[in-house]
Amino acid sequence: MEISRRDFLKYCGLTAAALGLSTSQLLLLEEVLANPDGPTVLWLQGSGCTGCSISFLNYIATAAPTSAADILINNINLAYHPNLMSLAGQGAAEVARQAYDAGGYILAVEGGVPTAFGGRACWAWSYNGEDITFQQAVTDLASRASTLLSIGSCAGFGGIPAAGPNPTQVQSVKAVTGKNTINIAGCPPHPDWIVYTIVQLLLGNSLPLDAYSRPTAIFGQTVHSTCPRRNREESCLAPRGCRGPGTFANCPTVQWNNKANWCVNANAPCYACTEPSFPGTASLYTVIYNPHGGTNLNCNSCHDDD
Amino acid sequence: MSTITTIDPVTRLEGHLKIQVTVDMVKGVQQVIDAKATGTLFRGFENILLNRHPFDAQHITQRICGVCPVSHGMAAVMALDAVCGVTAPTNARIMRNLVLGANLVDSHILHFYHLSAPDFLDGPNMPPWQPSWRVDKRFNTDQTNALVNNYVTALNMRRLAHEAGAIFGGRLPHPPTFIAGGFTTRPTSAGITKFKGLMGQVVDFIQNTFIPDAQTLAATYADYRQIGQGHRNLLAYGCFDLNSSGSSRLLQRGQVVDGSTAVQAVNLQSISENMTYSWYRTPLSVVPLDDMMLSIPVSQNPAVGVTNPVDPAAKTKAYSWLKAPRYNGLPYETGPLARMWVNGDYQAGISVMDRHLARAAEALKVAQAMLTWVDQINLSGRVSVSANIPTSTTIPSTNPNVPPVTTSFSAIGLTEAPRGALGHWLQVTDGKISRYQIVTPTCWNASPRDNRGRRGPMEEALIGTPVQDLQQPVEVVRVIHSFDPCLSCAVHVMRPEAGRKIFTLAHYHGGDEVHSHNHDHGHHGHEHHHHQNHGHSLE
Repeated sequence: MEISRRDFLKYCGLTAAALGLSTSQLLLLEEVLANPDGPTVLWLQGSGCTGCSISFLNYIATAAPTSAADILINNINLAYHPNLMSLAGQGAAEVARQAYDAGGYILAVEGGVPTAFGGRACWAWSYNGEDITFQQAVTDLASRASTLLSIGSCAGFGGIPAAGPNPTQVQSVKAVTGKNTINIAGCPPHPDWIVYTIVQLLLGNSLPLDAYSRPTAIFGQTVHSTCPRRNREESCLAPRGCRGPGTFANCPTVQWNNKANWCVNANAPCYACTEPSFPGTASLYTVIYNPHGGTNLNCNSCHDDD
Repeated sequence: MSTITTIDPVTRLEGHLKIQVTVDMVKGVQQVIDAKATGTLFRGFENILLNRHPFDAQHITQRICGVCPVSHGMAAVMALDAVCGVTAPTNARIMRNLVLGANLVDSHILHFYHLSAPDFLDGPNMPPWQPSWRVDKRFNTDQTNALVNNYVTALNMRRLAHEAGAIFGGRLPHPPTFIAGGFTTRPTSAGITKFKGLMGQVVDFIQNTFIPDAQTLAATYADYRQIGQGHRNLLAYGCFDLNSSGSSRLLQRGQVVDGSTAVQAVNLQSISENMTYSWYRTPLSVVPLDDMMLSIPVSQNPAVGVTNPVDPAAKTKAYSWLKAPRYNGLPYETGPLARMWVNGDYQAGISVMDRHLARAAEALKVAQAMLTWVDQINLSGRVSVSANIPTSTTIPSTNPNVPPVTTSFSAIGLTEAPRGALGHWLQVTDGKISRYQIVTPTCWNASPRDNRGRRGPMEEALIGTPVQDLQQPVEVVRVIHSFDPCLSCAVHVMRPEAGRKIFTLAHYHGGDEVHSHNHDHGHHGHEHHHHQNHGHSLE
């Protein structure tokens, strides 16, 4: 059966507004959408948890692209994604191989790259009977990619699998490939952050990055600086370990799950999941910042009590 | 002549899985005669947790799996509650259940439509449906169009389930709101109203779309009521506590052997993990035999588990990063079918399609229950109690050959992930995590062979599966997907060899139920003086 990309917009409920795009950008985006040969995206998963992909699937907006399905079907040619693609085995590996031969694809990597045991802590696939480590696959595919996206804190900085003794010597995609990456940080990243970055690439817009290669449009301000609880000493969570003052992300404005909630609004201190230092070795509740100069509070100050 | 076919990667599942099947003609049918499941990613979570503050456990362990993070958060706070000797208030119990339920419903919808359905669907000529294997596609055009449409609708429905969960959980995946002693969120009436609106849509979808689609699939592929049966041993820890003691649950704890309807109690001491075919150093136990001491390879109960990864190139007999958990020495399947079977809600059969049907039925049962639980929230009630990690004491030794003994505190958190039984075994010493053992559902389901050469449940389920085309072994993938494997969850390493203190716990609190009890210092939880070599079972 055949369904055109255009037909699919009906399924996805195309409406108007949001995403912060100007009218001219929207028109340009429409042209991009109308192109059935969207840029090829290879999305690989290494030492991670799939949380970034799941978060991406939560994407919802009132203007194109309106949903994760919209992106997948209308905006890009997602040739390889382990959770979504139909093919398995050699056929799946062949898809990546063909993209490699063509070159010029967007390589999105979710998860860090284990380098212990010669990379054998994580395999990507078997190709013609040869087991290819994830480290090898990322290195090879990065060499012919037009853009490298590190999706999430593991791919960008090592993240949780690199914490503590880093048992499998996980490294970031940049460290392993020696190539510059765009780091869409977060554990997981907000779906809007992933889509914003991909849309900017589709539009050919420049994407200013901070010192950690994160898009400044998303990671330009601290959580604390826009937090609705920042000016209220009695409700600021910093004395309870909140890392908002040192964490760069727009969580207070973008909020989570279609603005259903977000961490600090749920009385949970920000634990800096977008920072290169995440998760560190200190307890995630250790008090680091004290913007109001009050007394540091212990764990039980957050718990109800008799 | 038999042929070995490798599927690597097996896509549309969580994590990294390689399957190797041996296919041969048997009675005129080309079918699977042997199978090996290989977990191909290793991260070492228990090492990452070692020496961290125990209150970080629920955040770190959620990153084991972004598809079922809430189950790990739940298991961690259950273990922490027990170690701290506290009981979460009713509001916290309810909100934990609501977020766990939202995650389960999201995962079941995702599994059916996005991970499994493409095995049966010749979808539109675009990714993610194409390219695909083009064998044994039986749906007509109308059915295919409807399923493709529902694929997209289901993306939205699973998103709504996440949004409902985030009202209490703060965000999904990886909610930050689970804490020892309760929950951080203060519920509001507006939040409850919004939750009911979102979950109402999801219930409607499960009832009127998901379940009918699962039934259509089962009817169209009725031969898959016979395919993929496996060992037919089922294990469920149960979840969704309905009271503060945990004595009542929506989904019960129990186990059955060979598809029996007689449900038996679960004795946690009957769980052991074998590493004969896993890329870990096989633990040895020194036992006396006549006048000699023998080193004998052992399986380990998770409460005493020790794991040392080895380079796969150095242990060629092994073939997986997964260990092989066994109950009473037998391989057990876990998951929605096991839960619904143990609960008496679904006992129609054990097969590929029975797993799909039980999963859909469970999604409805849980989603409907969530709508009743949310009304039990007391807006003026508290959401947490104070929780403290008990203080260890060191008892000096008078014998220079015997090291001093430091008390530690252990507890177990047992719950259910969408794909099956999940257990966290926690030990705290000197205010830090001194051992953390995680046995996940896919550890059970996708486990490799054990010391007696018995296949894991998924491997066994593949035996006898007909394969039309060796180049397009879609039948094999259908069997695998029916288990909803989650490989990131499954692959784990325990603590390294004990460094400063060599001891393992002598026993842990009795069998089935996991409750705290008093000890000398006025705390609740499990205190252990340590002895070596208990809790092992000889191979």
